[in-house]
Amino acid sequence: MDERRSALQINNIEVMYHEVILALKGVSLEVPQGGIVGLLGANGAGKSTTLKAISGLLKHEDGEVTEGSIEFLGQRIDKKSAEEIAGLGIVQVIEGRRVFEHLTVEENLRVGAHLRGNGAHLRRGLDAVYHYFPRLKDRRDVQAGYLSGGEQQMTVIGRALMARPQIMLLDEPSMGLAPMLIKEIFEIITRLNREEGISILLVEQNVKLALATAPYAYVLENGRVVMDEPAEKLRENPDIRDFYLGLTDLGARKSFRAVKHYKRRKRWLT
Amino acid sequence: MDLFLQLLITGVMVGSIYALVALGWTLIYKCSGVLNLAMGELTLMGAYVCLSFYTWGIPFPLAVVGMLIIGFILGLLTERLFLRRMVGESILAVIMVTVGLSFFFRGIVAFTWGTDTRVFDPPVFPAEPIRWGRIVVGQVYVWSFVAALVMLVVFVAFFKYTRWGLSMQATADDEMAALSLGVSAHRVYALAWAIAFMAAGVGGTLLGNINGLNISVGYLGLLVLPAVVLGGLNSVPGAIVGGIAIGVLQNLSAGYLSRFTPGGIKEIAPFAFMVIILLFRPYGLWGWVKIERV
Ligand SMILES: Nc1ncnc2c1ncn2[C@@H]1O[C@H](COP(=O)(O)OP(=O)(O)OP(=O)(O)O)[C@@H](O)[C@H]1O
Ligand SMILES: [Mg+2]
Repeated sequence: MDERRSALQINNIEVMYHEVILALKGVSLEVPQGGIVGLLGANGAGKSTTLKAISGLLKHEDGEVTEGSIEFLGQRIDKKSAEEIAGLGIVQVIEGRRVFEHLTVEENLRVGAHLRGNGAHLRRGLDAVYHYFPRLKDRRDVQAGYLSGGEQQMTVIGRALMARPQIMLLDEPSMGLAPMLIKEIFEIITRLNREEGISILLVEQNVKLALATAPYAYVLENGRVVMDEPAEKLRENPDIRDFYLGLTDLGARKSFRAVKHYKRRKRWLT
Repeated sequence: MDLFLQLLITGVMVGSIYALVALGWTLIYKCSGVLNLAMGELTLMGAYVCLSFYTWGIPFPLAVVGMLIIGFILGLLTERLFLRRMVGESILAVIMVTVGLSFFFRGIVAFTWGTDTRVFDPPVFPAEPIRWGRIVVGQVYVWSFVAALVMLVVFVAFFKYTRWGLSMQATADDEMAALSLGVSAHRVYALAWAIAFMAAGVGGTLLGNINGLNISVGYLGLLVLPAVVLGGLNSVPGAIVGGIAIGVLQNLSAGYLSRFTPGGIKEIAPFAFMVIILLFRPYGLWGWVKIERV
C-alpha cells in the first residue's frame, strides 16, 4: 500500500465480548506513519470494536482480543491497559461526542492533557487547540453539556489533541452534524494530519466523505475485512457505489431495505 | 428570636462537619457508583487515630496531619483490597461489601480503643464561649466550623484546579471517555476513598471534640444519608448544603420540638425530612439530571 513505515499494524485479530460474542473474526489492517486510513462498514460491522481493540477500551466492556496481535511502531500493545496505550500516543475519540458535560470546555481540554502533566505543555496544548478550533476559545468557559453538537465534536477532538497523540482513532466524527459543520471538521482533521503529522484511523458511515479524506480504506462486514483498496478504486467499485454511495447502475436510488436485500447476494459477502 | 439565632448558628456550625463527611460520601458515589454504608466507621477510624496521636502528646494540628496521612493510606488500601475486585458486580453485592466493611472497622475500633467514651484531654479548644450580644457559642463549635470550612475549600479547589481533581470529575461524568485519555479509573476510585477517609476523619475528630468520642459517633455515617439525599447524591455543592441543612434541622427540632416529645426528636428529624424530600424531589435539590440541550 504505502512505502512509509507502518505506525499501526493489526494482524488477524479476533475479538470476543463476554467470552461468547464473536465480534471480529480475523481483521488485519495497517495505518502508515502520517497517513489517513478509512474504516467503513454498516451498523454492527465491528468498526468501533476494532478501534476499542486498539485503544484498549475493549477490556472495560468485557471484551478481549483472543487471537492475533496489534502492534504500534513495532511494539505489541494488545495486552496493554488503556492507560498505557494512551501513554504511547494512541488516542481514541469515541463515537457520540462524549464530552464531560459538567466540565467547561477548557476543563475538558485539560483532562485531555492528563498524561502530559501541567505547566508549559498544557499552555502549548491549549494554544494549539484554540488555533485549530478558534470557536472553542470563545466558548472556553461554557459547560460542555450546553454546547452545540458541532462544538461538542470539536471539544472531543481538541481534547484528544491535548493528549499529544501520534495516532488518532476517530469514530464517526460526522454523525448527526449539519453538512457545513462536517466540512469544517473534516478540513481540520486533514490539517491535523498534515500539519501535526498525526496518523489517523477514521471510522465513517459517510462513505463519500471518508473516501474524500482518506487515500486508503478498509471495508468491514460482519466482523471481517471484505475489501481494502485505495480510495479512488473503492469509489469506482460497483458494490461500494451501490451500497454506500447510493449510485446504482440501474439509475434510481434504492431504499435502504432494498439495498440490504440486494447486498446479501453480493460476492464479497462471505 | 435570640433562641432561634442561637440554634441556627450552632446548627450551621455542626452542619459544616456533616457537610465534610457528606462530601466524602458523595465523592465515592460520584466517581465509582458505590453506595457506601461504612462512612460512619471511616469517621470513627479517623477520630480515634487522631485521638491516639493527641494522647501521646503530639500537638493537635500535627495529630490531625498524621490522621490525614493515615486516612489517605487506609483509603487507598480499602479500595485496593475490598472494592477493586467488586468492579462490575451488582450494586447490591457492592453495598453488602461496604456493610461488611462497616462491621470490620467497627470491630477494629472496639478492639483497639474499647467502647468507653474518650475525650481529647486536655481539651483542644478553650472552654470559654464566644458571645455576640446575647448569643453564646462554644469555641469548639466556632473552631470546628472554621476547620470544616477550610477543608471544604481545599477539597473544592482540588477538584477545580488540579489535574487529578479534574480527572476525577471527568470520570464521574463519563468513565469511558476519561479512560480513552489515559485516566486510570482504579486510581480515581482509590483517590475517592482516600479523600473520603480524610474528610470523614476530620469530621469525626471535630465531633469527638464537641461530644467526646465513642462508637456512637459512627451514627454520623447514617446522618450523611439524608444530607446527600437532600443534595442529590452526586452533587458536591449539594452535599455541602445538605450537610449544613441537616445540622440546622437537627438543632431547630431539638430546640423547639423536644419539649413535646419524649426525646430523640433530634435523631429522627433528619430522616423524617429525608422521606419527605424523596417524596417530592426524588433527585434531591441539586441532583444531576442529564443535560438535555433543546
Ligand atoms: N459491549 C458489547 N457487548 C457485547 N456485544 C457488543 C458490545 N459492543 C459491540 N458488540 C457487538 O459487536 C458487534 C460490532 O459492534 P460495533 O459497535 O463494533 O459495530 P460498529 O461497526 O461500530 O457499528 P455502528 O456503526 O452501529 O457504530 C455488534 O454485533 C455488537 O452487537
Ligand atoms: Mg460504532
